[in-house]
Amino acid sequence: MKTKEIYKKWKEQKSQIEVGKSFSDRVMSRIYQYESEKKIPLLGGYRLIELISTRSLGKAAVVVAGVVICFVRITVVIYTFLGC
Amino acid sequence: MTLETVIHRVLEGDIESFRFILQRYETPVVRMIKNITNSADTSEDIAQDVFLTAYKKLASFDHTRSDFSTWLFTIARNKSLNALKRKRPVLMSELPEKSNPHNPSDDMARREFYDRLDQTLQALPSRQRRAFILAEFEKLPYEEIAQIEGTRLGTIKSRINRAKKKLRTALIEFSGDMV
Repeated sequence: MKTKEIYKKWKEQKSQIEVGKSFSDRVMSRIYQYESEKKIPLLGGYRLIELISTRSLGKAAVVVAGVVICFVRITVVIYTFLGC
Repeated sequence: MTLETVIHRVLEGDIESFRFILQRYETPVVRMIKNITNSADTSEDIAQDVFLTAYKKLASFDHTRSDFSTWLFTIARNKSLNALKRKRPVLMSELPEKSNPHNPSDDMARREFYDRLDQTLQALPSRQRRAFILAEFEKLPYEEIAQIEGTRLGTIKSRINRAKKKLRTALIEFSGDMV
């Protein structure tokens, strides 16, 4: 067999693949699991922590909330001293 | 049922319609991942992640920007790259010594050729390998590969040509014959 033919056969062999019969079912089951997890209330403790830790927007929101609380606290303290 | 209808139905909450997408794309996606990562064991696991991500992000798919297959293959490419980062690359120096397959008519010699080609393919720079796989095994048009790789058409052509040249050289070195 010529090498050119071997090269062609190799490419054909690489193009052939069998996917497991249960592949679709496994993916669908993960999708259903994802959907059921989505239905857990947003403010449930674990879900909230997960949302904050896995999303950059969640992390940014925590930092912004911290900065705002800190600013309000400083303002209140300054106002209290000046008020005296 | 057209793909657009299926996507619309999934977005409307008909989860089962996603099976249509799975049936249509599971083989090319698993094959692409298997060839990029060179791992038959993990390719289906990575492919599962690809389809789950596609499902989660389906709303962000914009058919005016790309074909669905391009969008899906881009996810598969990124997941494969992440998997490869966790894997040690094959070095050219690790390739086996040249044997003497002057009569490549028997199965053993052919097997050696296949192994040699597999190893050369895995030793190619990652970008060249991906471009070659998408063009030669997935038969994707160069324009689509350029979109998936996020680069220019000329760059893709050049990567594929370099990959082919290296594979050809490996075969010539191995057999002393021309491909």
